[in-house]
Amino acid sequence: MSDFKVHIRERANNIYVLELKGYLDAHTTPTLEEAFQKMLNEKKFRIIVNCKEMSYISSAGLGVFMAFIEDVRAGNGDIKLSDMSPKVFNIFDLLGFPMLYDIVKLEEEAAKKFDAQ
Amino acid sequence: MRLRKILLLLGAFILSAVVFFINAATKSVDLESSFLQQVRTVCILLSYLAIYLFIIIIKKEKQRGIVQSIGAVALFTGIFLASYLIISLLPLNGFKTRDLTLFPQDYQTIFFSSIISLISGVFAIVVLLFIKDLILYKRKKTTLRNFLILVGSLLAASLSQLMNKPLEETVISKIFTVIAILMIIVNSFRLAWIAYLPRREKIYSLLYSLLAFFGFLVILIIISSEEGGWTEKGIHYYSSALFTFLQLTSTLGAVYFGMSFSSTLFHLPTAEAFDRKQTEISSLHNLSRLINQVFDLKDLAETATKMTTEVIQAASVWLEIIPTEGSFHKSGLMSYRNISVEEIETILSGDEKSIRKIICQTKKVLMIDDVGADKRTKHLPKMKKVGSMLVVPLLSHQNVIGILYATKEIEYGFDQDDVDILSGFADQVAIAIENARLIEKSFEKERLQRELMLAQEMQKRLLPQQLPQFPTADLKAVSSPALEVGGDYYDYVQISDDLVGIVIGDVSGKGVGAAFYMAEVKGIFQSLAKIFRSPREFMIKANESLVTSIDKGSFISLIYSTLNVQTGELIIARAGHCPILYISDSKQEYLKPDGLGLGLKTGKIFEENIQEKKIMMKSGDVCVFYTDGVTESRSPSGEEFGYERLMDVVSTNKKKTSEEIKEAIIQTVWNYTDAKGYHDDLTIFVVKWL
Repeated sequence: MSDFKVHIRERANNIYVLELKGYLDAHTTPTLEEAFQKMLNEKKFRIIVNCKEMSYISSAGLGVFMAFIEDVRAGNGDIKLSDMSPKVFNIFDLLGFPMLYDIVKLEEEAAKKFDAQ
Repeated sequence: MRLRKILLLLGAFILSAVVFFINAATKSVDLESSFLQQVRTVCILLSYLAIYLFIIIIKKEKQRGIVQSIGAVALFTGIFLASYLIISLLPLNGFKTRDLTLFPQDYQTIFFSSIISLISGVFAIVVLLFIKDLILYKRKKTTLRNFLILVGSLLAASLSQLMNKPLEETVISKIFTVIAILMIIVNSFRLAWIAYLPRREKIYSLLYSLLAFFGFLVILIIISSEEGGWTEKGIHYYSSALFTFLQLTSTLGAVYFGMSFSSTLFHLPTAEAFDRKQTEISSLHNLSRLINQVFDLKDLAETATKMTTEVIQAASVWLEIIPTEGSFHKSGLMSYRNISVEEIETILSGDEKSIRKIICQTKKVLMIDDVGADKRTKHLPKMKKVGSMLVVPLLSHQNVIGILYATKEIEYGFDQDDVDILSGFADQVAIAIENARLIEKSFEKERLQRELMLAQEMQKRLLPQQLPQFPTADLKAVSSPALEVGGDYYDYVQISDDLVGIVIGDVSGKGVGAAFYMAEVKGIFQSLAKIFRSPREFMIKANESLVTSIDKGSFISLIYSTLNVQTGELIIARAGHCPILYISDSKQEYLKPDGLGLGLKTGKIFEENIQEKKIMMKSGDVCVFYTDGVTESRSPSGEEFGYERLMDVVSTNKKKTSEEIKEAIIQTVWNYTDAKGYHDDLTIFVVKWL
């Protein structure tokens, strides 16, 4: 079975980083859903998803981002994605995610963008 | 049967009449051993034989229980005594005795002698037959033998009187009488039926036995008295054998029912325990039978608590099912009697130290003799119903799946027997719960399977059975779902003579839900394609329709293209789907016009981001539409098939027909994944310009 983990890390200025690790598909999406739901419940809306160690994302995995983005933005926050491997970026790109999400090279860039707001 | 009864009765009557007439005719004559005397004797014997056969038939018609039989004997004894006394009181002249022979004084005496003799005979035979049933109840090897010896000696003692004068007693008859009495005593110990009577019936049997015992005693005293009335002489006169028979039968009755009375009396104290064991066995039997018939757990729990209440006479009983992992079954309180939910909650309160917790941990029977004093329960508020408690776990594979509780008002109300009974019930109910669970699981599985089959069937119908063939373009497609139901979709629509619309898509998620979205996409595609000829416009409208109906977090990636089969113009719009592989003589590339997946975003953002791409297909050009199942297939080592390999295989096979190109791709993917790695749906649509 493919392995997937989410680690939540806090940065300065109420920014929270979700570090994704492994293979995100229909079987592992509940883990990510829980993490997002936890952030929403705790009203933590400034979220960076660090995809450095994510090896794959399936369409179901992409759906998770779609499911939460509206609520996060309604709370005056955002979900920014960073540190994607080219392969993972390609999947996001195919679906047109760059048009919907702030996808940046490095986590620092995303943090700066939050700070600038 | 009816005819035989009438014949027997008639025979007995005629024979008795003959005896009467002989008696009347020889009123004052001593017949000694004359021929007439022998005729008379034979007539008497035959008449009783007829009566015996008649009684046997009558008795078979109605089966009686043990207690009813004893009651019947007591009743017959009463009737016999009454009629005997009434006849005794008749003002008759009676007999004169001379030389041990009796001479009736008038015809009435002869007549009533016959009557009382007949009654006596019938009575003796009936009594013997009833006692026979009692003695032979649960017979052993020797029982029948002993009884036959008894009857034999009885008859021998009686028949040996046949040739005597009415009042004469011979040595032979005395010997047989002694043997008969011995056998009466031996047979009177045959009282096997007593133990099996329920308590209530034992009391009746006690009463009837006593009545019968006294009845027989009185009969014996009356007929055996020295200075008796004319009636005893009447029987002697009629037949000495009959007199002896009656005497011995009455002795048997008195001894037997005397014995039965005292024996029943001794059995009474243990009757209750015996009853309880009986109920216990029968209720366990009932419960286990029920288990094979009732699959509704609620019913079963009701039965179990009802039986518990009845059998161990508990003040209140309840049964709960403990929720276990992976079970579909409802849990919680299944049945309760003589107690309210609030009271139960109070009793089971105290999270960590509650009785429920104790049972779940120990998995053993818990008996609390004094609820008010026991350290496990003394913190509970006083309740009248709850003086003592007996709690039994329902175990399945060493897991507590439920608990059966019983309480009694008094302290120390339960004993080891109750523990045994309740444990028995608990075992049965545990099996039943297990059965019910298995059945429910298989139902659930079957239901899901049916649902999947339905969806699979639906999905198959959503895909086109055949693609159209054109002289200019060769179209071939294949789709194989990863699970029983996949999310891939392809289709075509003939927009006009020249224009054919081609669609390929992938619904996020899999299974039944994906299949329904697919159906929606098909509906949208078939209707919109003919209205909006521009693929870009089509996509915008399709998105509008889908975005409102699709789940948040779900989306559909789609490629829609129109192919002009006259000119070879192919216009493509891509909504988040895998890029199209385009291979011509001069170049090979992936076409990837911009576009968001369908259902992600409403109106404007989608509209702003979707583009169209136009190419002109020339002879030998190949276009491959596919889903990510192709490029994301993995080798056993985990490496993706990827775009390069796809391009290579199509490029190598580009001279071949669409069918062959399609097969080549599948074969290559198959070989690559080692045929095991089909972890996603896989769909391929090949267009080759001829």
